[in-house]
Amino acid sequence: MKHRIKTENLALLYQKAAERFGDLPAFAIRESALQWNPISYSSLYEQGLNLASGLIEIGVKARDHVGLFGDNRFEWILSDYGVQLSGAADVPRGRDVSDDELFYIIDHAGIEVTFVETEELQNRVLKLRSRLPGLREIILLDPKAKAQPGVKTLQELCDLGAALRAKGDKRVEERIAQIKPDDLFTLIYTSGTTGTPKGVMLTHSNMVSQVINLPGYHNCTDRVLSVLPIWHIFERVIEMYTLSFGGCTFYSSISTLGEDMRNVEPTFMASAPRLWEKLHERIIKGIKASHPVRQILFHIAYFLARHYKNSEYFITDKYLKMKHQPKWKHAMLLPLHVLRWIIVLPWFGFFNAAVLERIRLGAGGSLKATISGGGALPIHIDKFFNYVGIPVLEGYGMTETSPVISVRSINNLVVGTVGPPVPETEIRIVDPETGEVLYPNNKFHDNGLAQRGEIWVKGPQVMKGYYQDPELTQITFSDGWLRTGDLGVITHNHCLKILGRSKATIVLSSGENVEPEPIEMRLQQSQFIDQCMVVGQDKKFLSVLIVPGIQEFRMAGFKERTLEELAINPEANKIILEEIRKLTSQANGFKRYEQIRDFRMLPVTFEVGNELTNLYKIKRHVVEKKFNHVIDELFTNGTTQKN
Amino acid sequence: MEFTTQLLYPHDQALLAIMIFVIMLGMGASLIPDDFRAVIRKPRGVFIGFLSQFGLMPLIAFTLATILNFPPAFAIALILIGSLPGGTTSNMFTYFARGSVALSISMTTASTIMALFMMPILLKVYTGGFTAQITASLQATGTDADFVIPTMNIISSLILVLVPVAMGMFMRQKWPDWAKTAEDTAGFVGILVILYLLLTAFIRHGHLFLQTPIGVYIGAVGLGLAGFFFGYWFSRLVGVYPLFQRAISLETGIQNGPVSFAIILLSFSEPVQSQMIWLAILYSTFIVITSSVITLRYRKNGKKDWDIYKNTAIHNRLFGGEYVTHYPKGFLPKRLLSDPSQGTQPSQKRY
Repeated sequence: MKHRIKTENLALLYQKAAERFGDLPAFAIRESALQWNPISYSSLYEQGLNLASGLIEIGVKARDHVGLFGDNRFEWILSDYGVQLSGAADVPRGRDVSDDELFYIIDHAGIEVTFVETEELQNRVLKLRSRLPGLREIILLDPKAKAQPGVKTLQELCDLGAALRAKGDKRVEERIAQIKPDDLFTLIYTSGTTGTPKGVMLTHSNMVSQVINLPGYHNCTDRVLSVLPIWHIFERVIEMYTLSFGGCTFYSSISTLGEDMRNVEPTFMASAPRLWEKLHERIIKGIKASHPVRQILFHIAYFLARHYKNSEYFITDKYLKMKHQPKWKHAMLLPLHVLRWIIVLPWFGFFNAAVLERIRLGAGGSLKATISGGGALPIHIDKFFNYVGIPVLEGYGMTETSPVISVRSINNLVVGTVGPPVPETEIRIVDPETGEVLYPNNKFHDNGLAQRGEIWVKGPQVMKGYYQDPELTQITFSDGWLRTGDLGVITHNHCLKILGRSKATIVLSSGENVEPEPIEMRLQQSQFIDQCMVVGQDKKFLSVLIVPGIQEFRMAGFKERTLEELAINPEANKIILEEIRKLTSQANGFKRYEQIRDFRMLPVTFEVGNELTNLYKIKRHVVEKKFNHVIDELFTNGTTQKN
Repeated sequence: MEFTTQLLYPHDQALLAIMIFVIMLGMGASLIPDDFRAVIRKPRGVFIGFLSQFGLMPLIAFTLATILNFPPAFAIALILIGSLPGGTTSNMFTYFARGSVALSISMTTASTIMALFMMPILLKVYTGGFTAQITASLQATGTDADFVIPTMNIISSLILVLVPVAMGMFMRQKWPDWAKTAEDTAGFVGILVILYLLLTAFIRHGHLFLQTPIGVYIGAVGLGLAGFFFGYWFSRLVGVYPLFQRAISLETGIQNGPVSFAIILLSFSEPVQSQMIWLAILYSTFIVITSSVITLRYRKNGKKDWDIYKNTAIHNRLFGGEYVTHYPKGFLPKRLLSDPSQGTQPSQKRY
């Protein structure tokens, strides 16, 4: 904690960071695998000041909303920096924004000045310009792109600002001094998994509270690898956090992630569950391809690690504790766990050093911790990485809470949960039907621990509200508590466990409520199932849409080249049917009404920007709309199998 | 103390021989010709390590044996162990202790070859008094044999042990996948056999544990610990980087146990052989525990300088060799400030 810079607003954070960390690299941009360009704290601040002066000169006022459309690149960071130093707030969105959304956002947020990353985005904004009378200035980020008449480039603006500052222009310093903690630093439009874009108002104090409250022990020797979309709040909070302790953020991408992990040897990173699934897949593939003796050694090592860690979790009271454990039971089991821990320790010590270290090297070997957020981490992936010694800290949050509500820390790592709430944050569990507070409530045993319900949050990270949408804001808040719409439970060791999204709940015609996510996660454990979505709202039974893992089918000897061909192959259908039966059987803990009765293999995969959010969460309404005919067919043609 | 029965049965000896073979094969499999060239390229660290390994360690062994009043056979064994070259175990511990693995490997290779010359000399210098004691006791019982250190046998055992190392290196060149397997298996086999020997010794010769004088236990544990301690302070006083201090310390304390078994089995005979083997078993057992503890300690203490070193090295890897990482004022501990390996200067060393 002592290494972190604490300030009242982000502009001051940038200033202090430049003072303290000066020539250390703040960001590194990838040119090729072993060639990266560093940008130091002081030069970033210098450039930021110039840009901010330029922005002020072209008429950006304090608390204005400045558009920022584009994806991961250094110029994005610089723009973000410049906007905040000028006392304004940015309104970011990725390149995959649709024309309708672009228009909606610029219009709704009252944007007068906007940054666009690419030539393509520039042309799209120019086309919309006639319908957007308020839009005055467009600034192009990509230095290689050609600016149209009337469009300024980022470089021009920086040069303009530099010239002004050379003459003694101190307007930026005045702006910084006037920023109030309650001022917006960003206005993020989310479409999320449901509904139309909403403008989430996040303030300087929201972000500053996160920078201070995130758990972790980092200093200026840390390297942070960045793969998530740059404008996503989860990525931004990690970047600000990194600035506060003087680390360097290395910009990677999904396609070069494996290579970059080995070269950068990150000590920290933020990621989505999908990345860990991919990495897990690659590791397992590597092990299967290795020498038989080494495979055996790995299995022994993993076996030992599992027993060692499980005993350790029990002894330190860090296991998933969904039920109240009587003291006598704990006291009885404790010596057994201590005994197992002691017996396994020397063997684990050896195998940990000789075998598991090689696995860790696949992720660079230096990771102190990684935070996974933006969706539920499948439990087997979670366990795998924690057993082999890569501490994956699952967190929970949403754009509205900038974003972290709770996260595991190294000292409080309970696999299967999203950890305790971050400091200064309160959580309530509320019955979604009656509105009764279930936790904390001393009417219940243990003050309401283990009670299931909707999660409500109160804390310094909670947004100011939705921009120009008081009605929605009012519905979302209740007595100053933010209603997350997610279902959860507080475990007996005071960690939050997420049970699903209440809005994703499928209500069957029988009236049974089904959480589709646990079933989907279970199904995705099959190597033959790449992605899937459970459907059945208002129907008699559940069915599932499946994107098969074509690689696995090909390895199993199938000749089909496309998903389309595979979808009509009866043998493949048989395999999938078997997998579904096996994985979601009642023996596996699924209730009768949670059984999947039918399925369809889809001819296409779910893709980011279409069916998936940037953090690989399924947009249920999009899939439902797109595969409407398939779903209809599932429920009208009767079932292919009768139970 | 007298050993009334032979400590090792023929099948134990066979097992030990297999273990020595597997471990030395694994050691070879982890080496590449470049490791030898590295010794010549950067002789300073290796030279300091050499002084520590062949200067300090045998002296420590001799002093311990004298102070603790060791029976002569045990004393010879302790001095023999003290004069051994380093093994691959130290490389693994160095890795986890955040030491310089490259230096550790260089020291292992250099000392393995140097041992051919150094061991006979060292044994001659330090064991004189103890061999005389044995000769005296032999003559007292009526045998008129002279007990001498079998120098030539020791050299030929050392050469014999190098055969699997050479095979391992060859394997690494030809079949890298098998070599990796051999490397992984070696350590595991070593631990298994040591445990087996301990267990059988306990079952068959339980009285051994009680008969062994307490001083011998202290010596067996103390040899490794003293090696770590003096290796660390010697290299620190000489002024090498923290990374190297940890490597030299571990390399000094951890000896190549399997080689001692080979030498004892091939070069010595009863009545001293069983006692010597017993001490080698004790040393090999305790060294695993003490070096684990020391490694954990180094790992914790070395965290800061390691993080700085690592970060600087990666900056140079990605931003170019000329890049200089400037840490904020007051961040670098005094000890590191003047240290080129920690990246305050562009002449960053890649160890």
